[in-house]
Amino acid sequence: MYRALLVAQIQAASQYRVQSILWMLFSVIRPVIFLAAWVAVANSQGGQIGAYDVRDFAAYYICLSLVSNLTMSWNAYDFEFEVRMGRLSPKLLRPLHPIHYSVVENLVWKLTTIVPLGIILVFVSLTFDARFRTTPAHLLLFVPSVLLAAALAFFSGWVLATLAFWTTRVHAVSTFWDRAAFIFAGQIAPLALLPGPLQAISLALPFGYILGVPAEILRGGVSIPTALQLMAGQAIWLVIFYFAFHRVWRVGVRQYSAVGA
Amino acid sequence: MTEAVVDVRELRKTFRVTEREEGLAATLRSFVKRRRKDVNAVAGITFRIDPGEIVGFLGPNGAGKTTTLKMLSGLLHPSAGEARVLEFVPWRRENAYLKRMTLLMGNRSQLVWDIPAADSFRVLQEIYRIPEQQFRDTVKELTELLELQELVHKPVRNLSLGERMKVEFAAGLIHSPSVAFLDEPTIGLDISMQVRIRRFVAEYNRRTGATILLTSHYMDDVVALCKRVIVIHRGRLLYDGPLADLAERMAPYKLITATLHDGAASSTDLDAYGTVVSREEGRVTLRVDRQVAPERTARLVNDLGSRLADISVEDPPIEEVIDRVFTSEQTVVSA
Repeated sequence: MYRALLVAQIQAASQYRVQSILWMLFSVIRPVIFLAAWVAVANSQGGQIGAYDVRDFAAYYICLSLVSNLTMSWNAYDFEFEVRMGRLSPKLLRPLHPIHYSVVENLVWKLTTIVPLGIILVFVSLTFDARFRTTPAHLLLFVPSVLLAAALAFFSGWVLATLAFWTTRVHAVSTFWDRAAFIFAGQIAPLALLPGPLQAISLALPFGYILGVPAEILRGGVSIPTALQLMAGQAIWLVIFYFAFHRVWRVGVRQYSAVGA
Repeated sequence: MTEAVVDVRELRKTFRVTEREEGLAATLRSFVKRRRKDVNAVAGITFRIDPGEIVGFLGPNGAGKTTTLKMLSGLLHPSAGEARVLEFVPWRRENAYLKRMTLLMGNRSQLVWDIPAADSFRVLQEIYRIPEQQFRDTVKELTELLELQELVHKPVRNLSLGERMKVEFAAGLIHSPSVAFLDEPTIGLDISMQVRIRRFVAEYNRRTGATILLTSHYMDDVVALCKRVIVIHRGRLLYDGPLADLAERMAPYKLITATLHDGAASSTDLDAYGTVVSREEGRVTLRVDRQVAPERTARLVNDLGSRLADISVEDPPIEEVIDRVFTSEQTVVSA
C-alpha cells in the first residue's frame, strides 16, 4: 500500500536533499563531540574509564550515531504545526490513518541519509580506531532491537504529538522530553557509566531503550542474555506507548477543533 | 419520500473559548484564572438533502456554515444533535464513508506542494484503493472537464491560485464521491475562473448525480448552481427553500427599470409610479410592490409611449435579498 506514498515522499524529499544532509550531519555532530570529550577524559585517566577504553568509546558513539539516525522521529514538531495550521484536516478525511504518512516520512529520511551517514561513520571509526566487540549473535539481535527502538521512538513521539489536540504548545513538552532523553538515553555517557541511581532510573525510563540499548547491542558491549533482557524492556515500553497512543488519539481526535481548517 | 442523502436534526456545536481583557493586569490574572465562554457556533439546525441536489448554504461570516460542513464531513464532533450522511454518522469517520464523500475548501490545500499533481493523484489512488481502469477514466474525465492537461505535471507550488484550485478539485473528486461539501470553492479566483469552476460543478453534478452542499459569498455561484438555499445566521436556520421564493418572501417588491429615448430621465417625474431608487442618464429604476408591478409596468408603457426605449421588471439583486434575511434574523420559511 505504501508504494505511491513512498515514491511521492522520495520526490518531495529530493527537493530538500541539502536540508536532509545538513540535518543528518547535525545529528552526528553531538555524538562526535561527546566522543572527543570522553577520549580526552579517558586519556587523562590512563586511557580507561570503567569498562571503556578510548577505542570502546569510539565504537559506542559510532553505534549511537547510527541508532540515532535509524530511530529518529520528529512527529511531535510536525504534528503541532499541522494541527495549528489546519493541515491535519485533509488527512483526517481520507481513509488512511494520518500515522501512515509519518511512517513513510520516517522511512524515506532513513533511506536517503543512511549512505552518507555510513561514509562519515566509517571515517570516524578509522580516525578513532574504534573497536567493536560485536559477534554474529549481537548483529542478529541488533536488527529486532533497532526495530523495537524505532517503533518505540515513533509511538512515544506520537503520544507527545497527540497532545497538540489539547494544547498548541507541544513544543515545550517535547523539548522537556528531549532534555530527559539527553541524560537518560545514553547520549551524555554510555548507560553503564552512569552513577548507580541514575543507571537504575535510566533502565526504568523509556529513553535508554531507544538509543543506548540498541547501540550497546550493536557494539557487542553487553552479553547475549543481558541483550535479551534489555530487548524485553524495549518490548514492554513499546506495548505501553502503542496502547497509550491509541487511547490518546481516540480521545484527542474528538477534541480536535479543526482550527482554521 | 426519497431517502435523504444528508439528514441533519437539531445539530449543535458549542466551542469553549478563553476570553481575556487587554492589559498587563488581565494577563497576570489569566495565569491564575481563565475566563471561559461558550460560543454556540451551530445552535440546533435541522434540514435534509435529497440525492443529486445542489444546495446553497448561505450566511454571513461566523454564521456556522463551515462548522456545519466540518461536522457533516466528520472533522468535528457535534455537541448535540444527530446527522447522517449516506446513512453514516459522519464523525465516526468510517473508511466506507470517507471513500464516498469529499470536503473541498477553497482556501485550503490538500495536495503535496513539492510534487506534481499527477503524483499526488497516484497517492490518492492508493489511499482510496481505486482500480486502475477507473482511476484512468476518472483522471481523463476530470482533466477534460477542468482543462488540466498542462497543469498536472508541474509541481503544485508553481501553479497560480486558479490553476491550483482546479487541480484541488480534481484531487478532491478523484474517488468519485457521492457527496461533496464545497466551502467557498471560488474564493479569490478571477471572474473567468469562477465561471469555469461553476460550469464544472454543474457538469459534475449532471454526470455523476452527486449531492452537493455549497457555501459561497459569491451570489453568482449560488444563482448559477443552486435551486435551493439554506440560510443560517448565528448558528440558527433562517430559511430553507427554493432560491426563487426567497426573494418573494424577503423582498416583497420588484425593480422596474425604464430607459428613455430622449435621455431626459432626470427631468421626468416618475414618482407617481413607485419609489425612485436610482436615476442615471436616460435610466430610472423604481421600486414597486410585487402585487402592483404588472399594473405599474403597463401604465408606464402606456403613459411614456414612444419616449420609452426599454423597460425591464426584475427581482432585487440576490445580495440585497440575503442581506434582508440576515438583518431580519427571523425564520422565514422551512421547507
